[in-house]
Amino acid sequence: MGSTSATIAVTGLGGLAYGLLLFVVAAGLKLILGVMKVMNLAHGASYLAGTWLAYLFADGTLTGLALALAAGLAAATVGGAGLAALLRPLAGHTEQAVVTLGLVGIVVWLFSRISGGSSLTVPRPGLLDGHLSFAGHGYPIYHLVFIAVAALIAVVMHQVLHRSMAGIALRAAIDDPPIAATLGLSATRIRIAAITVGTALAVGAGVLGAPVLGPAPGVDATVLTLSLIVVILGGAGTNIRALLIAALVVGMVDYVGAVVAPGLASFSLFLVVIAVLVVRRQGLRTAVAA
Amino acid sequence: MTTTTAATASDAAREDHATGSTSSGRRRVVWRVGRWPAATGVVLGAAALPALAGPYVVGLASSAVVLALLAMSTQMLAVAGLPSFGQTAFLGVGAYTAVVLAASGITDGPVQLAAAAATSAVAAVVTAPFVLRTRAVSFLMVTVMIQGLGYAIAVHWTGVTGGSDGRHTPPVTLGHGHPLTSTPGVYWYAITVLAVAAAGTAVLLRSRLALIWRGHAGHEPRMIALGYRPTVNLGAAYVAAAVLAGIGGALTVAINTFVSPADLSFDVAAAAFAAAALGAALSGTPTMIGALAATVAIVVVRDYFGSNGTGPLYFALLCLTVPYLRPAATGLRTWYTRRRRA
Repeated sequence: MGSTSATIAVTGLGGLAYGLLLFVVAAGLKLILGVMKVMNLAHGASYLAGTWLAYLFADGTLTGLALALAAGLAAATVGGAGLAALLRPLAGHTEQAVVTLGLVGIVVWLFSRISGGSSLTVPRPGLLDGHLSFAGHGYPIYHLVFIAVAALIAVVMHQVLHRSMAGIALRAAIDDPPIAATLGLSATRIRIAAITVGTALAVGAGVLGAPVLGPAPGVDATVLTLSLIVVILGGAGTNIRALLIAALVVGMVDYVGAVVAPGLASFSLFLVVIAVLVVRRQGLRTAVAA
Repeated sequence: MTTTTAATASDAAREDHATGSTSSGRRRVVWRVGRWPAATGVVLGAAALPALAGPYVVGLASSAVVLALLAMSTQMLAVAGLPSFGQTAFLGVGAYTAVVLAASGITDGPVQLAAAAATSAVAAVVTAPFVLRTRAVSFLMVTVMIQGLGYAIAVHWTGVTGGSDGRHTPPVTLGHGHPLTSTPGVYWYAITVLAVAAAGTAVLLRSRLALIWRGHAGHEPRMIALGYRPTVNLGAAYVAAAVLAGIGGALTVAINTFVSPADLSFDVAAAAFAAAALGAALSGTPTMIGALAATVAIVVVRDYFGSNGTGPLYFALLCLTVPYLRPAATGLRTWYTRRRRA
């Protein structure tokens, strides 16, 4: 009995780590969708790029991880500004989406050239490489630290969005762009900031989350789909709490489902989506149009 | 969201006006005179392909037919103002319908096609009420999710789909049980199905219903004020598009005698979405001819010239350049006119 509850606890922790990982990625996607009204199909590719940077810089020390994170943030800044510039001359949703698709193609092609089309394992930094044991089950310390860091990111995002002037300006730009513009807020600057921060969240999640969900072919599509589900379930507006709950539900269902009932994993996710959409009748319409 | 669409539509109209009525009128005359010889040439060339090219190219062309059906399916929704990334899910419904039929001994090709069309139509009817609550970017977002969920279900529902390993099927038969095995035979079967589907689509797009779709795409509030019901009309577009994709699914099975989740992966969805979008980006409005031309361009560039592994890069470069051609041309034209006036 004791060992069963320990198994559940360890699996639950895994789901928690996975859910928080999805939360960070989904928050970035939500930011880009909300401010720019652009479906960034390259968001999963940003995550993949982050995991690959983690692989590149991994030398078993925390310095390596910090370097990877710094490189990731630099790349996200350049990439985000570049993406904003690429999308600027295009009017239609499909044209904008197809350009982000081109970026996916380049990232995936580079990755396949470098990795030879196989999955790579990113080692955990030596200091965080141990396991904590619960009743005979080992749980990696790195995942616990990851949970703490991701939770911290969630708290910081909530505070920034609701307490700082930058957050207020951002929410204004999402909720009512024309009024925000009449108040003297620069739409261009907010757009560039949103897409840069959004990309940085995905790349950063990739760097830190690489030991949890590492660089592999197809990981970009998986992350994109799961973070989209989180954004859709999270509903309208800039509600960090709802997004966090949605991410935890999706993470738990996907991760715990894969352990408890592997055959049912994708169905359970599908059923959760359907259930939420049926219950929340207006949910979808307002998912993006805040 | 609808206001943005309306704004883009009126922008496009203004742009057309700005190009000058004489040049666009001349273009229209060239098109009206030249389209029948051009269409005949394309059809004859397509039919004669097995005599002109080797089995590798013919095989590529067969797979291009499936992508063409997916692109047409995507474009049909684009005509109604709905950008869809998830038509591969209906391709999956059609493909696995054909697999189940083949496994139970029904190998007749047209029967498989009809069954695939029916099941994907049912799947569309069931999902339409949820999906059609959204428009524009939200619709795109939800259909990306549908693509991902469809792929995940294909990977995990091993009882029907065989999981990632996929499932082999016996070759389809025609009429009196002749199995279709030769590469040219399969190709001719595929282009015949495409021709029938394209003819049906052409008729549909000239119908009153398609006018209503365009109306919804242009200005939905006004259509609602006129008494049109968006969920019913756009639902019809959604079902028609799903039928095209479902036919593509059954055709995949007929061409490859095999289907796996890779046939409805993100890459396939991306190619279909890009084919429709690049076609629309070139002509300025979603057209079927644009989608078909972009399909051919993608297959030639990605699968033929890029067969050594650089295909995805070429595809990416297409996506990163074609959408800018029209804005660049318009910009150049404005610049040139201004210079002449000055």
